[in-house]
Amino acid sequence: MSRKKKKHRGGDDVKLNLAAMLDMAFQLLTFFIFTFKPPAVEGQVSLKLPPPQIVATQKADQQAGSNNNNQALAAGVETLTITVTATLGGSIDHMAVGDGGVSTLPQLEQRLKVILQDPVKPFEQVIIQVGPQLRYEALMSVIDVCTRQTFSDGKPLTKISFVEIPEG
Amino acid sequence: MSGSAAEGECDLTPMLDMVFQLITFFMLVSNFKAAAIDMSLKLPVVGSARPVETKGQEKFLMLNIDKAGDLKVYGVSKDIPNYIAGEAFGVRRANPELGPKDELPVTVVIRADRATPFKLLNVVIKSCQDNGFLKYALRAKDKAE
Repeated sequence: MSRKKKKHRGGDDVKLNLAAMLDMAFQLLTFFIFTFKPPAVEGQVSLKLPPPQIVATQKADQQAGSNNNNQALAAGVETLTITVTATLGGSIDHMAVGDGGVSTLPQLEQRLKVILQDPVKPFEQVIIQVGPQLRYEALMSVIDVCTRQTFSDGKPLTKISFVEIPEG
Repeated sequence: MSGSAAEGECDLTPMLDMVFQLITFFMLVSNFKAAAIDMSLKLPVVGSARPVETKGQEKFLMLNIDKAGDLKVYGVSKDIPNYIAGEAFGVRRANPELGPKDELPVTVVIRADRATPFKLLNVVIKSCQDNGFLKYALRAKDKAE
């Protein structure tokens, strides 16, 4: 087989001036270096936050539980209320699940586990009553405990509402 | 006096190769969506925070809230009720099948500073709820820096 030999010309015949391309390439490089910001690694807690609804209605001059003839179940009875008050510095002062106080987050988790896993009294959502000064970080620690909970049917708790406790 | 051009010429090809490789790298890793993120905020640390999923995710509305309760969008402070109402209006216009009380198909991503008091954060959340946003993603770090 014969191989065609390419005829090499002298190097100075065709010359490509790369300087302009190199200039442009360096400009592009500079732009990307200056605009480059490595994104911080972030996570997220996904929630469904329906607007808080009235859990029970009461007449203006009526004491709660005073009507013994009322056999109807209160609307919104499937809602569990957690109360979190804040210190002046914005950290957690006091917590309560329903009427029962809890002093630490592990205790809160324990209490929620017992209540939400109970198939006799099923809850659908949680309302967190929050002190106005409570810092977001402290609130997130409570939300963290809540989102780790599951109901007795195995579904995770994602329906959470917030209500601000009035100041004073 | 300098000699002829052929004598003092250096081969620029490897340098050009390297520069183009660097450009390619930066083009691929540049994320212009990150501009919506206020990097000055110190997010809270939450153990159960899940990695952010972007595949198949519906549209989101990113809200950066600093510790004074100011809402910042691309670094500019916005009036909270007006901005959220405007965004909701835009979503409804893009989805004319939605009723006035229907849930909007947008996830509100809240990036709030860890020191933000709840009463300031609640202004944003309430405003979102009033405009039909019900799905939220609260951003946090999964471990302390």
